[in-house]
Amino acid sequence: MTSQANPLDAAILERPEEGRKEKAEKVDFKMVTFSLGGKEYGIDIMNVKEIARAGRFTYVPNVAPFVRGVYNLRGDIISVIDLRVMFHLPVEKREEDALESLLILRVEDHVFGVIVDSIDKVVGISRSSIQPPHPIFGDINVKYIRGIVENAGKLYIILDIAKIFSPKAEREEHPAHYEAPAAATPPARTGAPGPAAARSGTERSQTVEAEMTSGFVKEGLYSFRHFAVTAVNEAWFRTRFSEWERLRKGTDLQLHEEADADAFLDGFSSPYTGTLWGADYLDAVTSCLPETDGRSLNVWNPGCGKGFETWSLACALRRKYPQARVKIWANDSDLLAISMAPNMVFDVDEVPEPYREFLVKGRNGWTFDPAIRDSIFFEFHDVLNSNPLPPVDLILCRDMLSFLAPEEQGRVLNDFHEKLKGAGLLILGTNETAATDAWKPLSSGAVSAFAKA
Amino acid sequence: MRVEYINPFVESAFNVLKEVLQGDVKRGELYLKSTSIPVMGVAAIVGLAGDVEGRVLFDMDKPTALKVASVMNGEELKVMDELVKATITELANMITAQAVTKLHELGFKFDLTPPAIFTGENMEVSDQDVEALIVPMETAQGKLEINVAIRERG
Repeated sequence: MTSQANPLDAAILERPEEGRKEKAEKVDFKMVTFSLGGKEYGIDIMNVKEIARAGRFTYVPNVAPFVRGVYNLRGDIISVIDLRVMFHLPVEKREEDALESLLILRVEDHVFGVIVDSIDKVVGISRSSIQPPHPIFGDINVKYIRGIVENAGKLYIILDIAKIFSPKAEREEHPAHYEAPAAATPPARTGAPGPAAARSGTERSQTVEAEMTSGFVKEGLYSFRHFAVTAVNEAWFRTRFSEWERLRKGTDLQLHEEADADAFLDGFSSPYTGTLWGADYLDAVTSCLPETDGRSLNVWNPGCGKGFETWSLACALRRKYPQARVKIWANDSDLLAISMAPNMVFDVDEVPEPYREFLVKGRNGWTFDPAIRDSIFFEFHDVLNSNPLPPVDLILCRDMLSFLAPEEQGRVLNDFHEKLKGAGLLILGTNETAATDAWKPLSSGAVSAFAKA
Repeated sequence: MRVEYINPFVESAFNVLKEVLQGDVKRGELYLKSTSIPVMGVAAIVGLAGDVEGRVLFDMDKPTALKVASVMNGEELKVMDELVKATITELANMITAQAVTKLHELGFKFDLTPPAIFTGENMEVSDQDVEALIVPMETAQGKLEINVAIRERG
């Protein structure tokens, strides 16, 4: 407890009286009660370190909207979360530097502050009188509610602080952040009429039908080729779908077998998939690379497939940064594809001109020179498992995200964001986009490049 | 795990098992796993150091271990005694050593730690931040899994 006189202390002094009023029942659970958006809530007192009134929190850029900032609590910097924003409850307007009611909570080793409308008192109840949450308390997700209890004529909703703030819950929240844009467009599996409902007559039935068909096509792509239509590739899908309608001329638009899915996906792959990049694409990628005098360059190339793009990129990097020490981690979860990558042998006549200076003649044919070979680690690795990499300057991930499940795409993009250095560059497949607030597009055209926003 | 490391392990496991068991050995589909992995009952572990860090785990259930040890010793062994444990440990050592020799020829320098053996029920193994390559092997004596988790030394 703080040395400041605060309402909690007062509340504790008050409590015995109240206990007598409540009589009979054994008090084995104490909670701090407070109000949020006009409703009464409680938090287990064991999670409450102290309470305080504070304001003028230091703003922290780029955090979730419910994080109000950080606060200096007698030398400890704690983050401050606005519970009302977190739970989408109305926030009363306050003056700029008015003090807010702050509950300082402790969950495991984390200490942080939460802002509530007003803090009431400490109420002692019997654990057995807590009733399970009821769905009608709809403002707050039921999984965050530990139970409901009645005390002195008031109903209190007891929040499960551990569930709301445990580090694990935080991690789970992140993918949701990325799913949001995907959800704005009809998700792959539903094909629900949704927004069309408001329109009228024949137009409506046509739109509904078109959306149903595109829904079926999405479903087909996912089940035959594990291609998930999300924000990453939605733009391409729409263009391709209208093209598809024209191609099939109103006949059967749906995908019945893998060959149909392949036909639909024809044209999705980035240029030079499964072969060394041609001079045009090589130059396009090179022009995206930032000017840097860095001595060392770490590159991550998940989903490298047979490794052609990794070799191409390695050459591009060597031409652009002849002095730098380049390290490329290339991984793929397809063992058959990647197993040939490290020992690739080329026919010198088929290799585009820009690469020839890096080739040396070996026992079995032409290979890249040892400096380039040593810069690449080809790994049999699944990007969905943990990726133990140092921070990287460049991520090249062409046409891989689209073939992950929607929630996995969000997770991997998050991981990219985490692993990429501040000034780093992300290159996706030509028809893919990172498409969230977290990334800003750098160029249009053949190379789909992004920087951290 | 680096692609170059995979084949030496698969090949040496195949060759050594075939040689010591004098029978047919079938290799199952390789796969990756990153969560904790249940151990079947008898697990021999050999640590790797050098250019990389990691370990190789040879995992089988008890009846398989007894049968393998029986064949290797040329006598019927019925209980999990010191001899059986020593035999399985030796098998792990042989396979790993052969793989490391092959890797050495390719220019990768690995060192081995002396093998250790674990037996028990309901065991699991988990590796922080490294995924494991699982190489399943079918033999006449039963199923063995070779579980390799290696990472480059940062």
